[in-house]
This record gives sequence, structure tokens and C-alpha cells, in this order.
Amino acid sequence: MFRSNRAGWFFILPAFVFLGLFKIVPIGVSVLESLRQTTYTGRSYFVGFENYTYLFFEDPTFWNSFWITLIYSLVVNPLIILIALVMALLLNENRFFTKFFRTVFFLPTAISFAVVSVIWSVVLDPHYGLANGFLTLFGLPAQPFFASTAQALWCLVFLNVWRSAGYWMMYFLAGLQNIPESLYQAADIDGASAWTKTRKITLPLLSRTFAFVLVANTAFNFLTFAPVYIITKGGPRGSTNLLMYESYKSAFVNLDMGRASAITTILLGIILIFSLFEFKWTKAGFEY
Amino acid sequence: MMRRYKKPLVLAAEFVLLTAISLFFILPILWIVASALRPSGPLYTYANPLTLQTFFPTTVTFDNFVHIFKNLHFGRALLNSLLVAVATIAISVLICSMAGFGLAKFAFRGKNLFFFIVLITFMVPFESIVIPLFVLVKRLNIDNTYFALILPAAGNGLAIFLFRQFFSEVPTEILEAARIDGASWIRIFRKIILPLSIPAIVTVIVMVFMFQWNSLFWPLIATHSSRFEVVQVAITAHRSTEDTSWANLFSSAIAGSLPPVILFFFLQKYFVRGISGTGLKG
Repeated sequence: MFRSNRAGWFFILPAFVFLGLFKIVPIGVSVLESLRQTTYTGRSYFVGFENYTYLFFEDPTFWNSFWITLIYSLVVNPLIILIALVMALLLNENRFFTKFFRTVFFLPTAISFAVVSVIWSVVLDPHYGLANGFLTLFGLPAQPFFASTAQALWCLVFLNVWRSAGYWMMYFLAGLQNIPESLYQAADIDGASAWTKTRKITLPLLSRTFAFVLVANTAFNFLTFAPVYIITKGGPRGSTNLLMYESYKSAFVNLDMGRASAITTILLGIILIFSLFEFKWTKAGFEY
Repeated sequence: MMRRYKKPLVLAAEFVLLTAISLFFILPILWIVASALRPSGPLYTYANPLTLQTFFPTTVTFDNFVHIFKNLHFGRALLNSLLVAVATIAISVLICSMAGFGLAKFAFRGKNLFFFIVLITFMVPFESIVIPLFVLVKRLNIDNTYFALILPAAGNGLAIFLFRQFFSEVPTEILEAARIDGASWIRIFRKIILPLSIPAIVTVIVMVFMFQWNSLFWPLIATHSSRFEVVQVAITAHRSTEDTSWANLFSSAIAGSLPPVILFFFLQKYFVRGISGTGLKG
């Protein structure tokens, strides 16, 4: 680490200007909006933390969304990261089939979330969909998928794994390139098994990449919006009403910007708390 | 570089596992491709019950693709997205790699605040900043231009975070040695840091490309002339609650997904052990 205000600021200044103008200013406006309320005539006035106290103490819809978002995140994040990591480890070495499989795993990521949502809404159609075509082929009963309160959230998880696993695989592949080849050669001389090498060399030395993927992926999934908006509209009976969608409804359906901004600000708080734990857990965040 | 070869049995097991995973990823896509290659008709005809026809159409036609390019000007949207993505990548890779270096290797006043800013920029939902951002872009007088699509995406917190993680791996001793030899920081950055971080740069190129290529909400709001129509806007225009043109939707979705796949296919050679990550890091 080099101690230099001048060099440090020289390197971060351009990014600081861009982030400050196009990200921090709008974020600031949005946070301030959460302290205001808009009347039906369109006038807005300062209300302090009223939007927040209402959400916390008098708003069961908010709490329903809160718990659903939490459950969704606790399932979808480990699942995506585990699958992405396994795929990257399997495809790290250059063999005749490596390039083909990498590209196949990456395919869903090339399709935008909006289009992926349309595709899965037709694939999982309860009557005519491809998925039920498969189930009946194997003699299994057809499933309602997004039409069922018990299954809809898990279908969202499934969709997200399908779309995102290949994306995070890419980051793990990049991170794996940073591990010195010499360590593996030394381990080979000592006669270490593939599993030992993975556990003792690869995984520990992947920790910075792992921290990155963990934090970024968690943030992304807390902000899941497109599939809810396109497929379920939060239903059936609120079972997929993630916080982002609830905030969207507040802003653009009920025209309650104060509540919408309060929800997204709370969401930011939740993501920050999660990130802090993830940084601590991977020990890779703040080491200087 | 000699590695012990894996036993054929292990290799075969890996191959079977990989094939199983890829079926999960590819079957829905195969079905979409088959639907786009069929003469346009009802979408669900071949989906359930399942037959070989579901994935391999008996009559293959490229009419749907010809239609979207010839009559619906999909090529224009592809070019727009390409221009926006390339311009964003050029700015983004430069300023984000610089910032990542600053965070990874320097102690300076305001560093923790800047890192906090970097983190929250990708933790805040875009939907919640979209209105203030549009007001800002209008005030800067760049709404309905390419600049409105490029500039707000140029500063990318995720890219800075990624660069920081990778640059931290470069041993500080090498930089100290270069300093003693009288190299300037800019020179160290260009001649040592960047060449050692090719996988990170490639990853950020793909990341920024995908971000711009897949953006839908912001282009819808920031531009309104069809001159600036980007890929996702063109694709999703085929879906509406009253009438969805599946043939147009699927064929444009497929054509629109090819550029990122091609980009990844060619850039992934930098994700192979032994090509990079040699030399200094041993």
C-alpha cells in the first residue's frame, strides 16, 4: 500500500466524477424523496421518517414482501454461486470440449432478463408448456408452476439460476487465472489428489473473486424485478411479491413516491448489511 | 507445464456431468430456435405432448429472420446497441481500471468514502433512481441522444470493485521496485498493472457489453426517436398484452443474443490456464 493523496485521487478522480454525477446525485434525490409525501394534487411535503414508521408498524404487505425477498435470496444466492463455481472448476482446464460447454453455459446470459422471463412464462405454462410436456413424457403429473402459491417462488429461483449461473461462472473463470501454475506443479510433485488441490490451493486463492461474486450476486438478486413484473405480477396471492416489485407498484401504480423510495432505501440498507457480513466472512473485503 | 493426466474414467464422468448441465441450459433455447425456424403459427403446437418435432422442425424457414431485418429494421437497432456498447466500454475500462488501481494500492484521504460510493452504486435499484436521472440528463441537454445512453453507464461500480479485487493480487513489491527505478505511476499502471490483468479487463469488457446490450428500461425513458432504438427495445416491442407476435419476438431475441455469445466465445481464450497468469505471479 502506498501512502499518497495525490496519486490516489489522480486515479479515482475520473470515476468519482462519473459516479458522483450519474449515480450519487440521483440516489441522494431518491433517499430524500423517502422523507416526503405526495398528495393527490401532486404537491409534496416533508414528513420526516413517517414513511418508514408506517412501513415498519402498520404495513403487513411490506412485511410479507420483506420475508419473501429474504427467503428468495437465502435460497437463490447459494444455489447460483455453487453451480457457477462447480461449472468454472470443471471447465478451467483446456480440453477438447471446454470451449463448447463454456459457451453453452453462457448462452442464457446473452438473453436479456425481460426476454428470459417471456421464454420461461411460456415454457412453464401449466397447460401447453414445454416443462409439462417433459413431465408427462416421463409419466409424472403436470404441475401448475407459476399458477400455484406453493410453486411460484421456486419457479422464480429456477429461472434465475438458469439465467445467471453462466454469468457468474465467467467471473470465477477469470479469477482462476490468477492462481499461479507453480503451486499446482508443486502439489503434483507431492502427489496431491485433484480434490486436495481444489480444497487447499484453488478455493483459498479464489477468495477475492469469491467475495466479489458473493456481494455482487446478492445485490443483484435482492433487486430482482423483471420476471416478477412480466410473469407473476407479485401473485398468486402475493407469493412472489418481492420488495422491488412492491416498490414499483407504489411508485407507478399507486403514485406514492414516498413509500416507494422508503422501500428501496430499506432494500439498500439490507443489501449493505448482507455485504458487510459477506466481506467479513470471506475476509477479503477490507484487508489493506 | 506437465500436469498429471486424469484417468479416462474421471474424464468420462466429467463429460457426462457437463452434458447433463448443458441440457438444462440448452433445451429451452433449442425450443425457441425451433419455433423461430418454423413457418409462423400457434406457439404451443409442438410443446406438449413432446415429440421430436418440438426441437427439430420438419419445415425450416428463415422467413421470420428475413422479415425482422427487411421490414422491421432490426439491423439498425443492432448497430445502435453496438455503438453504445463499444463507446461505453472504451470509457468504462479506462476510468474503472484507474479507480480500481487507486483503491487497491493507495492509502489516501477519502478512500473509504469512495469505496462506499462504489459499492452502493450497484446496490441501488436502477428503477428507483431512474426519474432523478432523467431529470438530470434533461438538464444537461443530452436527452434523446447517444450520450444519454452512454454517459450514465460509463462509471460502473461493479467494474471498479472487480478491478480492485484483481489488482490487489499483484504483489506490491514489484511496484516498489519499479518506483525505485524511477517509473511514474502512470507508467507502472500501463506497463505492469494492466498487462498482468488481462482476464480482469476481458471480464469487464463482457460485463459492460452485456449491461448495455441488455438494458431496456433506461433507453425506453432516455430516448424516444426510433433513430436511437436499441436491441432490447426492438425485441420487447413485439410483445404486448393484446397481441404478441411470437415469430417476431423469438427471431429477434435469437438474433439479438448472438453478439454477446460471439463476443464471449472469442474472448474466453483469455480464461484458459497457462496463457495469462504467468511470470511475475509465480
